[in-house]
Amino acid sequence: MTKAFSIFGSRPQLGPFEQQVLQKLWSHGSATVRELLADGKIHQAYTTVMTTVDRLYKKGLLDRVAEGRAFRYTPRHAPEELQRATALESIRQLLGSGDASSLPLSYLVEALSTHDAQLLDELQLLVERKRRELQSREKKGREER
Amino acid sequence: MFALRGIAVSLTFFFLLYCLLSALVAVAWRSLRWLHATEQSLAGLLFALRVLPLAASVVITFVFVVPSFQLLEPRSIDEGMGIMPPALGICALLLIACGCFRVIAAQTTTSRVVARWLEGAHPLNVDAADQADTQTVTFRSRRETPPLTLVGVSKPRVLVSESTVALLSHDELHIALKHELAHMQSRDNLKKLAFRFCPFPGMAKLESAWSQTAELAADDAAVSNLDDAVDLAAALVKLSRLVPVEAAPVCTVGFVTGSISARVARLLAWDEAGKAQPMRIRAWCVIPPVVVVLLCVFVTYGPALALTHEVTEWLVR
Repeated sequence: MTKAFSIFGSRPQLGPFEQQVLQKLWSHGSATVRELLADGKIHQAYTTVMTTVDRLYKKGLLDRVAEGRAFRYTPRHAPEELQRATALESIRQLLGSGDASSLPLSYLVEALSTHDAQLLDELQLLVERKRRELQSREKKGREER
Repeated sequence: MFALRGIAVSLTFFFLLYCLLSALVAVAWRSLRWLHATEQSLAGLLFALRVLPLAASVVITFVFVVPSFQLLEPRSIDEGMGIMPPALGICALLLIACGCFRVIAAQTTTSRVVARWLEGAHPLNVDAADQADTQTVTFRSRRETPPLTLVGVSKPRVLVSESTVALLSHDELHIALKHELAHMQSRDNLKKLAFRFCPFPGMAKLESAWSQTAELAADDAAVSNLDDAVDLAAALVKLSRLVPVEAAPVCTVGFVTGSISARVARLLAWDEAGKAQPMRIRAWCVIPPVVVVLLCVFVTYGPALALTHEVTEWLVR
């Protein structure tokens, strides 16, 4: 995990294709480049996939063992671990940016408050829906009687 | 010298046992998650586990260590003492002093904050509050005050802010008060204070798990049908918007505590048939094991005292 953190420090984001390859490796557990291409869902050349997995390996996100003339790649971290590391690094970068140290923190609080408010709105909708459902059930019961 | 040695040995024994049991509890409490029991039973078990190290250490020290020293240690011998008993005895005294300080500090802070909240407060007449033998008061809403909270240990009171009364419907306020009264009946503030008395690193997660479970248990105790559950969920969502940023003092149980989305989802999925399914651990279930332990102690008391004395002798050297 330590290596992943340090690597995220210099290059925190993964490209869309890198993410796709990583997803594929998570679903397989471990795979060679040929195995990744076998199901036909990745429409890229063999060499492109090979370069991408090699880049992910160099970023410290994959382990590899030699298998014949190729390598078998295994993700070094679970998806949740990677997500957590990415989130932590983003927050660290946010807090480290800006001249006034309290300013980025206030952005974070604002973002969290907005997120909280959205979450509460969603919960409120769920409660209202359930209440309407109960009322209509009650009404139907009364009509049947 | 005899008395001093006795005290040092007893305190050493108490301290070592307390640390050992606390470390075991800090690791082992997670196994309770596999238990399919009601939230009320789970909260009770978590609380029992949290205070077990202190209770067991005190009981074992007074039942075995002190009598074994008094009965089996020859008074005439002026035996020397190693460095360990006084050092660990001082650690035990520091632990007890730390516990007392944390309790007093928590009580003092709570009293001070609650006194500030109660400026200009007046009683609230709600039938849910009348049913229970408690005082429910409303107080003027300010930025730092919680919307609905139970305060106090010996004389608990439910505090309701004016904005809560204005915001909630009659049914929602009634069920929210019932939730707080359920906390009062389970003496949750006293339990929180008990946690302060037994400090040990690594217990925060157990305390947080107890807090979450106690909230769910209070939800269960307040709700008796789906209408109640929806009212409680609605109250929870409405009051979540009023929660202040400032942390509440120790001897209070706020209504908006724990994971709100999980609580709301649970309440909306409430069904009367499902409530009876999990196992409820009754208080009388504890009686048979306690009787067995007491019988074992009674039968093996002599040899147990001799063994304890041997252990304490080893500690002294």
